[in-house]
Amino acid sequence: MQRRLTLFAAAALLGVIGLAPVLGMVARSFLFEGAFSLRAYQALLSSGAQPLRWMGQSLLLSSYVTILATTAGVALGILLGKTDVPWRGALITAFSAPLLIPPYVLAVAWSAVVGPTGWITHAIGADAARLLTSWLFGLYGCAGVLFTAFMPVVMLLTIVYVGAVNPRLEDAGRLVSRWPGVLRRVTLPLIAPAIVLGAVVVFLLTLGEVGAPTYLRYHVYPVEIMTQFAAFYDFGAATAAAMPLLMITLAIVAVEYGLLERRVSELRTLAFGTQSRSRIRLGRWRRPLFVLAFAWMLVTVALPIANLLAQSASLAAYAEAFARTGGSILRSLGYALVGASLLTPIGFACGYFIQRRTLPLWRGMDALALLLFTLPGSVIGIGLISLWNTPATEVVYRTSAIVILGYLAQYIVLPTRMTAAMVERIPPSLEHAAQLCGASWFTIVVRIVAPLAARGLIAAWAVSYVFCMRDLGVSIVVYPPGSDTLPVRIMTLMANGAPDLVAALCIILIAVTLLPLGAVALWLGRVERRSRA
Amino acid sequence: MIELRAVSKAYNGRNVIDSLSLNVEAGERVALFGPSGCGKSTVLNLIAGLLAPDSGEIVIDAELVATAHTILREPAQRGIGMVFQDLALWPHMTVAENIEFGLAAKRMPAEQRRQRVTEMIELVQLGAYRNARPGELSGGEQQRVALARALALSPRIVLMDEPLSALDDELNLQLRQEILTLHSRFAFTLVYVTHSRDEASALATRIIHLRHGRIA
Repeated sequence: MQRRLTLFAAAALLGVIGLAPVLGMVARSFLFEGAFSLRAYQALLSSGAQPLRWMGQSLLLSSYVTILATTAGVALGILLGKTDVPWRGALITAFSAPLLIPPYVLAVAWSAVVGPTGWITHAIGADAARLLTSWLFGLYGCAGVLFTAFMPVVMLLTIVYVGAVNPRLEDAGRLVSRWPGVLRRVTLPLIAPAIVLGAVVVFLLTLGEVGAPTYLRYHVYPVEIMTQFAAFYDFGAATAAAMPLLMITLAIVAVEYGLLERRVSELRTLAFGTQSRSRIRLGRWRRPLFVLAFAWMLVTVALPIANLLAQSASLAAYAEAFARTGGSILRSLGYALVGASLLTPIGFACGYFIQRRTLPLWRGMDALALLLFTLPGSVIGIGLISLWNTPATEVVYRTSAIVILGYLAQYIVLPTRMTAAMVERIPPSLEHAAQLCGASWFTIVVRIVAPLAARGLIAAWAVSYVFCMRDLGVSIVVYPPGSDTLPVRIMTLMANGAPDLVAALCIILIAVTLLPLGAVALWLGRVERRSRA
Repeated sequence: MIELRAVSKAYNGRNVIDSLSLNVEAGERVALFGPSGCGKSTVLNLIAGLLAPDSGEIVIDAELVATAHTILREPAQRGIGMVFQDLALWPHMTVAENIEFGLAAKRMPAEQRRQRVTEMIELVQLGAYRNARPGELSGGEQQRVALARALALSPRIVLMDEPLSALDDELNLQLRQEILTLHSRFAFTLVYVTHSRDEASALATRIIHLRHGRIA
């Protein structure tokens, strides 16, 4: 009873945080002055071909990024997750680094390399520089930057799932075929659902991205929503404009969920935790492939970040950055700490609920969490405003609470899925044994499940913190006046701030993101050393 | 003939196989018998080439195929068929595709391949399940697919890692008989791992008792 009540409360909370704003937004888009009206949609349809063109550009950009990220992510995932290439751990960490950084920071970083003031631009002569700059500020540059930002999603999923494939299935193939044949016919088809999931997530994240395309002057559809909301303050038009994105996301998530979720779960059950994975011995290809991967990492990850560092290397820039954005830095830190600390227990409850199939609603909850993650932040933001902007709920709408609610809605899937994966590894018999001893469900969770899942819970907190810290999509729509976050402030300053100031702010954002993670890692290391001693 | 010469293998510092030497003659039926954790499956994986020994040598048909930390002949080049304990049937392929996989990898022409698949499916009496996926089959049917897949390439050696351990008694007895029939028809060398004394005596002409990675 205790267990069912707690988990039902978690489900209800997810409904209030995530589902209600979306439903509220849909309802409000059909209202005008309190009565049913299609005025907002008529206005959207009569606004000419521009929104349609922007939607086309958005879909084109998402397709490019998805194709590039999936191809490269799977290849790298196999190389780093399946072979004996040296320095695998370091390369995985380095390639994953862009996930910690908002994509528009990467765009700023790349413009420090090949933008009008970039050092490569200076080195190659005027004509070539013009060509390079025109590539960066447009579809190709935008696709390249977002590819670097989102490729790690596919790479990490590939690494996780090739590790989960039952090695016996590959061994059976190796008895009759060499590794390329086994990979082609056995491993890749088995992990195909995970690859498709990665591709879907990349497509939807790109579709909802505002920051990098805005900086690189490539018009995409989410900007239309922002324009209606922020420039014209036409809430009806903004909600109507958000509907096509909601519909596309809903359709893609429904297809992914309906067709693939079961197969991904089946793949998880194929894994035999105690068996070590079979690694491909690269032989004479080991060194050349390492050099290739290392060079790729240097160009796509190290080069732009190093340039950002070089561009910001002035005390004056940092002094100005702190003077102008001190409040935003502190607020971002506070919001992210609170957001992650709330996301972790709520995600734990939702993840447990989904994994143990405690209520029949579990499938709907899982789908809702995934939908909220892939919805553009601006859509969630507008949904939150439509729900909470009432005289009775001003205490939420006019305070930082609305930013936190936005984080909870958008990122709940992260701790939820991480918890579900952890709970899956804890045999139910451990809980049953405690139950037979007469322990209450809370006692079982606190004494059995949580300690066994402790590392995963800390990881869930860390991942939630990173995503809250780098959030732009939700915050830029919902932040109360005078309470912006660092990513929002950087976005505002990017238009007219000096390049060294913007670079310094980007470095500060990266540092503020990494410092608490470093502190947590140090603390964990100390705890582990003490427990060993 | 299979020959293991003073082969050792350790996991996490624990010796699973400890200077093991054994010979299996061509066409012989040998059972590796012993309690869980005594290294039976590791011996099979070493013979198959899925693991390299830490020390010692492995010889198959008078050819050195593995020495310490080195695999000289890849698994696919050893002429071995194997039935795994969990069967390891590829869940995304049909029965026919599971059997055909190895034939295609050996570049057998398509027509011959189709014939061979049909022949193997009929051999294990699964004609009605040609296009079924492993998940749609019963435990006994899955065992038969695993057998057909292991025999499709006419291996000289067949390794079986407790393939019948999960079956009920009736099915277990029935499949033992089928294995013996297949052995007398194809005359392969059989190395059969089991922890059941019954199964060992029914299937093998020689029983090797393993304990702590050595012959007891």
